[in-house]
Amino acid sequence: MRSPFAYTPRPGPLQAASPAAAVTYLGALVAVAFLYSSPVVLAATGAGLILAGRLAGARKAVRAAFWMGLTLALLIVVVNALVVSRGETVLARLGEWPLLGQVDVTLEAIAEGAVLGLRAATVMVAFAVYSACVDPDRVLRALRPLAGRSALTATLVSRLVPVAAADAARLRDAAQLRGPGAAPVGKAPLARRLLAGSLDRAVDVAATLELRGYSLDPPLDAPRTKYRRGRSRYDRRFYATGATVLIASIAAKLTAAGAFHAYPTIELGVGPTTLALSALLVLSGLAPLRRARRPSALRSAPNRPPTVQARGVSRA
Amino acid sequence: MEALTYSYPHAPEPALREISLRLAPGEFALLAGRSACGKSTLLRAACGLIPHFHGGEIGGQVEVAGMDAVASGPGELAAAVGYVAQDPETQVVSTTVAAEIELPLELRGDSPTSRARAVEEVALALAIPHLLDRAVDTLSGGELQRVALAAALVTRPKLVLLDEPTSQLDPVAGDELIWLLRRLNEEWGVSILLAEHRLERCLAAADRVIAMATGSIAFDGPPRDFLAWAQGADQALETPAARLFSLCDIEPLPVGVRDARKILNSTKRGREGRRTPSSLNFSGESESSSPRPADEKVQAVRRGSASPPTAVVGVRDLWVELDNGDAMHDVLRGVDLRVERGERVALMGRNGAGKSTLLRTVAGLIEPVRGRAVAAGGIALLTQNPGDYLVRERVGDELPGDMGLAALRVVGMEHAVDADPRDLSGGERQRLALAIALAGQMEGDELPGLVALDEPTRGMDRARKGDLVDLIGDLSGRGAGLLVATHDVEFAAGFAERVVLLGDGVVIADGPAAEVLSGGWYFATEVARVLDLPGAITPERGAKALLKPGEFALTRPMGEKRRSQRGEGG
Repeated sequence: MRSPFAYTPRPGPLQAASPAAAVTYLGALVAVAFLYSSPVVLAATGAGLILAGRLAGARKAVRAAFWMGLTLALLIVVVNALVVSRGETVLARLGEWPLLGQVDVTLEAIAEGAVLGLRAATVMVAFAVYSACVDPDRVLRALRPLAGRSALTATLVSRLVPVAAADAARLRDAAQLRGPGAAPVGKAPLARRLLAGSLDRAVDVAATLELRGYSLDPPLDAPRTKYRRGRSRYDRRFYATGATVLIASIAAKLTAAGAFHAYPTIELGVGPTTLALSALLVLSGLAPLRRARRPSALRSAPNRPPTVQARGVSRA
Repeated sequence: MEALTYSYPHAPEPALREISLRLAPGEFALLAGRSACGKSTLLRAACGLIPHFHGGEIGGQVEVAGMDAVASGPGELAAAVGYVAQDPETQVVSTTVAAEIELPLELRGDSPTSRARAVEEVALALAIPHLLDRAVDTLSGGELQRVALAAALVTRPKLVLLDEPTSQLDPVAGDELIWLLRRLNEEWGVSILLAEHRLERCLAAADRVIAMATGSIAFDGPPRDFLAWAQGADQALETPAARLFSLCDIEPLPVGVRDARKILNSTKRGREGRRTPSSLNFSGESESSSPRPADEKVQAVRRGSASPPTAVVGVRDLWVELDNGDAMHDVLRGVDLRVERGERVALMGRNGAGKSTLLRTVAGLIEPVRGRAVAAGGIALLTQNPGDYLVRERVGDELPGDMGLAALRVVGMEHAVDADPRDLSGGERQRLALAIALAGQMEGDELPGLVALDEPTRGMDRARKGDLVDLIGDLSGRGAGLLVATHDVEFAAGFAERVVLLGDGVVIADGPAAEVLSGGWYFATEVARVLDLPGAITPERGAKALLKPGEFALTRPMGEKRRSQRGEGG
């Protein structure tokens, strides 16, 4: 079974965008999540990311990340409530605990834990959208001229991870199918076997890379064309959205918008700037929206590029 | 290749010995031979992986398209040589199909426009343009194999090397791949060197056969001469149609189904103008009239039970849904199946038809969404990779105690208690894995109700398949029901008394093997396709049909005449 976070090629703007454009867009939203502690801004960022993921067709990835993030957030809330006793609104006095000492559960500690959890969940959703919508091959291709060896390592790892996952699933099945008279398989032998199998697989994948000519330097006289590698007509949209989000967030931060203090009592600033920024963050989730095609316009398009160019050059 | 000798690192014996071989441009050569005879090593030497990737000691010369393969690396040879290995899973390194096919061109420095055109053309040639935007981990084995072939062909190499590319393909996809290679060979002038065990599938497409034995070339010549050589030198390399002809003493031996029909028809026309095979009303005498030893054991088991036949597997209205990455879809749709004690059933169908899913559901690894699958008396399932069962370094540690020893005895491996599983041959490892699945499920010598095997013949030569047929007969004789998922029709004809054919999650045929394996084109044995007679699915049954007195055109005197001409008949 495929991981919900695995990249799935779809004909959407986010999938068509160059890795740099997609990273700019999603990275700006992640930066906002770290820049602000206001639950309003964080919730708006999360909503924008969920909207972006759904519009990009990564519904399963978003759902999985959302539930994982929610679980993590609850865990953080509980731990923070037990570990931090700051805050004036004491909800419960739980007495002396081993290691923790006097445990007082305060509303402020719970609120701070919730903000931390919300931030973690937001970042997880952002990475889920990235993982499901940005083609790792294009990312590696973009990195290759910058760091060839690292790109090779990343290529091997990115291929071996799903192969190792499939191997692990098969080994688990085989362990279940052993008769009751066979020696049971513990986790250590299973892990050893998986490691040994992964090394064999790595050798095979490395051999394939050799056969594809990975070890060769590109010829110096390789033809240059007017096409720039991996660009798409949606790039500007994502660059613009990312830049707008980032500039607006920094500007709003400078005006002290989105203030949040948990201690000693909860203070939440919800001014017009905060609300405007939040609205912008939610709307930024519309960037991957794909406009419906007008069939008549397509039919009459005089200079529509042939299929081969559309697929090979821009994938837009 | 000139006097090529090669030894793997730390190997006591050379894997290749004094190989001298010349492949002309545009030639289609088939590399035949038993398992571990050196076929894969020879292919790896031709693409530069040996010695550059594997190391070892090499002597002699290898020259490919004017390049010295020993001096050049596989990367440099990649411009002239494409290589497709047996396991397609480890041959893809990208996430999407288009990126995978495009990668060699990109690494070569081709422009985006020429890359796009080359990708489109190779995709069209291999009929995979619809796959270009798919993620590679959502493809079936057959689709993945085509993608690997496309990545090997996209640079327009002069030579393509293929190492058992059809071993994981169903008969339909396997036949399509071979004829695709022939078409590429004819239209693009690509030289092909194809290593394959199922010779009946590709002999007709080849111009030449190179047979290897223990690292040396034992035969090199045209396909028809190869069949004549194999008849005397190694019958495990004979095709079923050739075996049929040799049993009937018909000459020349046929290279493929079409050739066999032509020879048979001309033979008949030359002999009293009797009827052709396809016009005969042959009753299809089944093998049950002369049962094999295993059949006799099964009949004894069944006779021993006074009660009506006991079902060891009962599957009723079984629906299974699996996630294919995008959405849940039905893999099994209302399957009904019943396997009796001692019955040997082959489960066949295209890749993705639901064979493995059915076996896994019966074994309890998958929960059905509707219906039920009950294996009364237990099940021992051996999955496609026997190596997955072997996690320790001593056979005795895998199977400790009396129960372990009893299981080893059942598969004839009790002598290997102290062996390291990694030192065992492929067939022995498979038997050991089966023993692990059986261990503790036996009461005395009595086996669990069902023994299920999933694609057990991958990469096996015919001799090893014969051993497996014997093991299946033995297990069946001990009373276990056998349910074997396989793509190999010849193997199925060898062991099965009944064949269940799955198509897109539905049972589309269920009947005696002699009937199901002779009633179609793809899921039919070579002999069945040659004779087109109900029941004639193996060379032995076919020969019986051909030599049936009074019914058929061919009679023994012709053979006697031939023997006397060769001086064998006294």
